[in-house]
Amino acid sequence: MGRPLVHRSPMPGLGLSAGITLTMLSLVVILPIGALVLQGASFGIAGIWDTIHRERVWKALFLSFRISLYAALFNLVFGVILAWVLARYSFPGRRILDAAVDLPFALPTAVAGIALTALYAPNGLFGAAWKDHIAPALNIALEVPAYILNLVAVPLGFEAFVFEVPPRIAYATPGIFIALVFVGLPFVARTVQPVIHEIEREVEEASATLGASRYYTLARVIWPMLMPAALTGFALSLARAVGEYGSVIFIAGNKPLLTEIAPLLVVIQLEQFNYDNAAAIGIAMLVISFAMLLVINLIQVWSRRRIGYV
Amino acid sequence: MSDFAAGSPANRPQPQPGINPNEARFQAPTDEPLLLRWSLIAIAAFFLILLVFAPLTAVFAEALSKGWGAAVKSLQSREAISAIKLTLLVAAIVVPLNAVFGIAAAWFITKFDFRGKAFLITLIDLPFSVSPVVAGLCIVLLFGANTAIGAWLVANGFPIVFALPGIVLATVFVTFPFVARELIPVMIEQGRAEEEAALTLGASGWRTFFTVTLPNIRWALLYGLLLCNARAMGEFGAVAVVSGKRESATTMPLRIEMFYNEYLSVAAFSLAGLLAFFALLTLLLKTWLESRHADALSASRRGH
Repeated sequence: MGRPLVHRSPMPGLGLSAGITLTMLSLVVILPIGALVLQGASFGIAGIWDTIHRERVWKALFLSFRISLYAALFNLVFGVILAWVLARYSFPGRRILDAAVDLPFALPTAVAGIALTALYAPNGLFGAAWKDHIAPALNIALEVPAYILNLVAVPLGFEAFVFEVPPRIAYATPGIFIALVFVGLPFVARTVQPVIHEIEREVEEASATLGASRYYTLARVIWPMLMPAALTGFALSLARAVGEYGSVIFIAGNKPLLTEIAPLLVVIQLEQFNYDNAAAIGIAMLVISFAMLLVINLIQVWSRRRIGYV
Repeated sequence: MSDFAAGSPANRPQPQPGINPNEARFQAPTDEPLLLRWSLIAIAAFFLILLVFAPLTAVFAEALSKGWGAAVKSLQSREAISAIKLTLLVAAIVVPLNAVFGIAAAWFITKFDFRGKAFLITLIDLPFSVSPVVAGLCIVLLFGANTAIGAWLVANGFPIVFALPGIVLATVFVTFPFVARELIPVMIEQGRAEEEAALTLGASGWRTFFTVTLPNIRWALLYGLLLCNARAMGEFGAVAVVSGKRESATTMPLRIEMFYNEYLSVAAFSLAGLLAFFALLTLLLKTWLESRHADALSASRRGH
C-alpha cells in the first residue's frame, strides 16, 4: 500500500475545511477555466491557430508581449534600486516613498488609467512638456550619435541613420509602456526588499576586509543573493502586464494593428458575440500565463536549491 | 529592521576624532559612496513622483477642476449612486466569502498532511497568473446564455452573466488567493501545538478555533481582507467582461469608463477620486498593520 491520501490527525474540521476549500476552488476556478479549455479542445489546435494567425490577433498578442517585456525589464532594474534605497538608506521622506510603492496594488486600474492619460496625453502636463520641449531636445541630442554613426555607415553603403524619439506618449506604444510599468511597479521591489533585510552585514564586511571594492561586493556578493527574488518579481510583473486591461485601454488609443492589446481583442470579440474567437485568443493567453507560472516555480526551486530560502 | 539602515550611526565604525584629518569624508567600507547613494535615492524619488504621486494628484486635481460643488453634484447623479451601491454590495458579498474560503483553505493546508498539497496551493494561486479578462471570459463561457447551464439558469430566472452573480463570481475569482496567501505562512509558523493543547484540555473544535486560532491570525486575516477589499472594489477587466456594460450591472470602475468615454471628465474623475480615497485609506491601514502588528503578519510583510 502507498501513502494514505490524508494522514490521520487529531485536528478537528477536516471534512468542513476540505469541503469548503475544494467546493469553492471547483466552482470559482476549476470549472470556469475548464470551460475555456473544453471550448478550446472542441476546435482543436488547428482551429486556435487559424484564429491567432490572423494579422490583427497576432499583432495584438505580439504587442502585449513585447511592451510587457520592456515594462517588466524596467521594473526589474528600477525595483531592485527601489528595494535597496528603501531597505538600506535613511533619508527624509523614506516612509512616504515606501508606502507609495504599494499604491499600484491598491489603486483601481481604471483610476490609474484615466489619471495617467490625463497626465501623458498631448494636452496633459507631462505629455505637453514631452511634445514641446523634451522630445525636440532629445531629437537634437540624438543627431550627434547619428552623425558619428553615419560618418562610418554612409561610406559603407548603409542608408543614413536618423534617430528620433516618439512624438507622443499617450495614444501610442510609450503610453502602454507607462501603464504597464505602473501596474507592475511593486512586484520586484516587494519581493527583493525582505531579502535585503535578511542579508547579514558580516558578509559585506568580510568582502571589504578581503580587499574587494564596494562595487565588486555589490556585483559579486550582494547581487547573487538578490537575483532569485528579483527574477521572481520580474516574472510576476511580466505575467501581470501581459494580462492587464483596465489601465491600458485608456492610454493606448486602441488603434487596430498598432496599439491594440490582446485582452482588448478578447473583449471586442465578446461584444460581437464571437465566443469562439474570444476563446481561442483567451486560450493563447492562458497558455502564455501557465508557461510563466512554470518559469516562476522553476526559479523558486532553483533558488531554494542554491541559497536555501526564497 | 530600520536599524540596518546605513544611516544609523550605531552600525557604522565611527572615525576617531583627531586622528583622521578627513573625518568628515569618512566612508565605511560597507557603505556606497555618497554620490552613488544620493543618485539612487534621486532615481527612486524621480520615478515614483512621475508614476505614482503625479497620477494620484492628477485624479484629485481633475475632479476638483470645476470646484467642490461640481464634484459633489456629479457624485449625486443617479448613475454614480447606483454604481457606488453596486460596488459596495459586491465588496460586502465577496469579502466575507473570501474570508471563509481563506480560513478554510489555510486550516486544511496547515493543520493536515495530505498528498497533492503543493498542487492545491498552486491551484489557489492560479488566479494571480490568469488575465482578469480571460477570467471573465471563462465565466461567460461557463454560464453565458448560449451554454446549457446558462440557458437553464436564465430560464429559471437566475441569470449569472450580465447580472450581479456574474460580477460576484468574477470578483471572487480575481481576489481568490488574497486571504489564503496571508494566512498560510502565519499558520505554518505558529504550528499546531497550541490547538493540540486546547483539544487535549477538552475544548471543542469550534471553541479551539475561536479562542486559540482566530486571535493568533486576526491581524494577518485583516491584512488579507484589506487587500481583497481593495481589489474587489477596483476590479475592472473581469467585471467589464461579465457585466456586458449593462446599466444595471455597472460598478464604480465601469461607470468611470462610461463617464470618461462620454467626456464627462469631472464626473469620471470625481468617482475615481472616491476610489483613490479608498485606496489611500487602504494603504494607511496597511502601513499601520505593518508597523504595529508586524509580528502577527507573514514574514515578507514585516519590516518595511
